[in-house]
Amino acid sequence: MRGFRDRTAVAGVGYTRLSKNSGVSTLTLACEAVLAALEDAGLTADDVDGIATHRVGDSAAPSVVGPALGIHRPSWYLDQFGGGSVSHAVVGQAALAVAAGMAETVVCYRAINARSEFRMGGTGRGLPPGPEVQYQAPYGYFAPPQQYAMFARAHMARYGTRPEHFGRLAVTQRANAVKNPRALMRVPITLDDYFDSRWIAEPFRLLDCCLETDGACALVITRADRARDLRRPPVLISAAAWGGGDSFMSGGGADTTVTAAAELAPRLYRQAGVGPAEIDVAEIYDCFTYSVIVQLEDYGFCAKGEGGPYVASGATGPGGELPVNTHGGFLSEGYVHGVNHIAEAVSQLRGDAGDRQVDGAEVALSTAQPGYILPATSALILRKG
Amino acid sequence: MSVRPVTDRDSAEWWERVARHEFVVQRCDSCGTLRFPARAYCHRCRTRRWHWQPIGPTGRVESWIVSHQPFLAGVTEPYVVVTVRLADAPECVMYGNWDRREPPVTGQSVRAVFTVVDEELSLINWRPLE
Repeated sequence: MRGFRDRTAVAGVGYTRLSKNSGVSTLTLACEAVLAALEDAGLTADDVDGIATHRVGDSAAPSVVGPALGIHRPSWYLDQFGGGSVSHAVVGQAALAVAAGMAETVVCYRAINARSEFRMGGTGRGLPPGPEVQYQAPYGYFAPPQQYAMFARAHMARYGTRPEHFGRLAVTQRANAVKNPRALMRVPITLDDYFDSRWIAEPFRLLDCCLETDGACALVITRADRARDLRRPPVLISAAAWGGGDSFMSGGGADTTVTAAAELAPRLYRQAGVGPAEIDVAEIYDCFTYSVIVQLEDYGFCAKGEGGPYVASGATGPGGELPVNTHGGFLSEGYVHGVNHIAEAVSQLRGDAGDRQVDGAEVALSTAQPGYILPATSALILRKG
Repeated sequence: MSVRPVTDRDSAEWWERVARHEFVVQRCDSCGTLRFPARAYCHRCRTRRWHWQPIGPTGRVESWIVSHQPFLAGVTEPYVVVTVRLADAPECVMYGNWDRREPPVTGQSVRAVFTVVDEELSLINWRPLE
């Protein structure tokens, strides 16, 4: 993959305020984040010739955002159906388009009023699409925290993963969010607070679950050589991988304690020419505490089944061997469906992460939902330019 | 529970058989693979001749949850959902509610029970295998 590695870069990042009620439309959120990302890069909407997003019917499409910002006749766009599992695939595809010369400046965004309008958990929202839902929904089983709780318990039963491990992860990420001015939740929590939080779906408590957030985040993708001439230090896209894993219902006997990330990780690392030991900081999709633990295993940072003890050892905290979710993640910064993880990785590699900066961060991993809901995942390895 | 299954052209007959309290999965006529949920093609040999195969209504609890958050309008009491791996078709899993007060245990052997909702709909739930 020498034709892809480090040929494109993230040249800008932009956010809206993260809140529980934005008071504006998802279109407005998308426009605000895109303009902020372009401003960060030192570009304008007139420079944009590609637009991409992922969504599950709850956002503004590129065909709406483009005209709304006067971006006429884009040469490339992507309106990717899907949730968190495709969040990093969108950026990977944008990078492919740029590397292939089909577009020069692509904005990737995710805009979502996930608290005030479209709650993922079901309240005020129809059932998710998909042919497997009919076998689950009649039993009151369809919301992501229920599904993840089901997988988490299987991991607990098989490997001895404990609630304390989930709790330590939540506490560590909250401590990171305390240092993040963007974060929604900035009051420190203790392990006791974790155990005192109410049940959502046993074995998950409230503090196992990500926030439901209104907000948007956007990235500007362009050629690496062009990014070097722009306003901010470029962050190179060393590897981008996406693809499928097993469906745990229709796929035939799959082991639910292993995610699609286990198949994807070797491809991703090979593309970047690095291994887990070279990753300085990791922003790992944390829709729930357990999703981080299983990905730490499947991306090779610890042995299978050791994700819980690895977190409890402090390895993923500040000063640990692998700082994880330095922004606080979905659990404490806010939920922008994967894009805010990429944006935080960019910030760490630029060295502008302020009080939460990981010293000497040169290579970062950022990952998507690991393939439990739809049988696919995606991830990026980014490098300081 | 208040959600009725939204069936499709692949699955409708399976639901009709459940309403008659038949416990079946598909069996591929070519390679013998048992499969569920219902699909036209065998995912192993990619042929599409098959028949409904009655199998034993038993399995093991693969995992389970107790749902507390009121995700469903009007349902405020906690309830248990189990994932069951079928004894006669170990590549297949089914879901269901738990038909006992005592909570399940992962790995526990279980038996299906048919819960009649109305004339057209029954649901498969699970209880310990005595």
